Amino acid sequence: MTVDGESDETLMVRYGRGDAAAFGLLYRRHEMRVWRYLERNVDNRATADELMQEVWFAVARDAPRYEPAARFTTWLFTIAHNRMIDSVRTNRRHASLETLGYEADAVLGQLTADPRAGPLGAAVARDQAGALMRALEKLPREQREAFLLQVEGDLSVEEVASITDSSFETVKSRLRYARAKLREFLKEHA
Amino acid sequence: MNDVPTDDEEPDEVDDAYRRASALDSSGPSDLARRRILNHAAQLAAERGAENAAAGISRRGAASQSWRRPAIFGTLAAAALAGLLITPRFFEPQVSVTAATSDARVARPSAAMPAAPTDQSEGRPLGMPANEQPQSPRAAEQGVPEPQAFARNAAPSTNSAAQLAAKNAPARAPSMAGARSSVEAGVSATAGDRVNAEASRVQAMSGARSAAPPAAPAGLFGPAAELRRAAETGDIAKLQMLLDKPPHVEKPNGGDQRGGVDKQSLVEVRDAGGRTALMLATLQGQDRAVDVLLAHGADPNAADAHGATPMQVAMAAGRESIAAALQRAGAR
Repeated sequence: MTVDGESDETLMVRYGRGDAAAFGLLYRRHEMRVWRYLERNVDNRATADELMQEVWFAVARDAPRYEPAARFTTWLFTIAHNRMIDSVRTNRRHASLETLGYEADAVLGQLTADPRAGPLGAAVARDQAGALMRALEKLPREQREAFLLQVEGDLSVEEVASITDSSFETVKSRLRYARAKLREFLKEHA
Repeated sequence: MNDVPTDDEEPDEVDDAYRRASALDSSGPSDLARRRILNHAAQLAAERGAENAAAGISRRGAASQSWRRPAIFGTLAAAALAGLLITPRFFEPQVSVTAATSDARVARPSAAMPAAPTDQSEGRPLGMPANEQPQSPRAAEQGVPEPQAFARNAAPSTNSAAQLAAKNAPARAPSMAGARSSVEAGVSATAGDRVNAEASRVQAMSGARSAAPPAAPAGLFGPAAELRRAAETGDIAKLQMLLDKPPHVEKPNGGDQRGGVDKQSLVEVRDAGGRTALMLATLQGQDRAVDVLLAHGADPNAADAHGATPMQVAMAAGRESIAAALQRAGAR
């Protein structure tokens, strides 16, 4: 029996022992976060779809060996990072939002202003949201990935450094640059 | 690091803007990818569940038997070895079906003591001394002559068994093979008892017992032997009958003391391995027989020729109820 309040780590251990329902809950919890991380790093839905399967297949396969010493999300995004890097290294075709205009339109078409937004609430208007996504796309890959890992994975600088095999300061620097550039784009489109 | 921008502004503003934009983005993995992922995970979970269940049963089985097997094996080996060393002093050589696989199965020919026919030819229980006969309740009911009568009228046996025994005789030295065959003998004796006792029953019923009974020294049959068999086989009715009205008492030196009613002596008479009826009942896990024997004064600390006590045997074999009964009776 799966209880929604159970931690990711507990669910993972339970799945490792054969509880399929535990995996279902884990997947629902993290599906979109992993998807966005992958899709916004490779800029291609088809590739992201493939990577998504590879990542979760790996999670399912390695579950018996999972040790809840670290957070599940750290482990999960480590797998996602490795798969994504492999994909990049094997020269999988990257398509940007610009080249895949239909995708950009599909995404941006669903973005509407949030009536409860604060000072930057207007940034989530259609144009501003589009600008944000384009700004993200134009970030250097390392900065974009660090930002996505931290925001989508809800990971600390230390965890991002561990996943990307980088130093703490390097990751901190990447994150600052990423946020500074995104902020600049947002101001331009305010 | 001088070119790293400073964090004068709240970084959460950017993060919040990104999250709001993402929350409004309904794109996600395809349904096909989602189905594949969940199906694959469910399949692995099912396989793992089956593996874990099998492993759990295996572990439980191993844990519960890990100490029992060597203990039982050791006890059987010790008991059989004791019997092996002592039996030849009293009994005729014997051949069993296990002799074919064991060169250490001892049978010493004796010129002074005629050899008995083989187990199978006489329907005698395998592993049982040549001069003991299974006594079935049905045979007794039908008036089949008691073994003593056979013993008194024993005809000279053939030499075939002696020759065969002599052929097997050299391998008396204790060895791994000997110990192994001792255990085999101990095990086969139990199963063989049942098989051949049934054969005797059939013979008795059909009146076909025309062959000469096995030769046996006087005093080795009788109530004590019957008592031991009843204890070993869990024949409570017979056990009660013998203990309530013992017809005569065997003397340890082999003589019979007819008419003497000595229950205490009856339960203390031992077989060739120095095993009392209580020990035999313990070895065979006959809980009720153990209770009856203890109630009739059987010594719970009577060790066999190898020094093993009923309590040790019960503990080694994991017979907890018997061990408890022995403890209540003062076993150490």
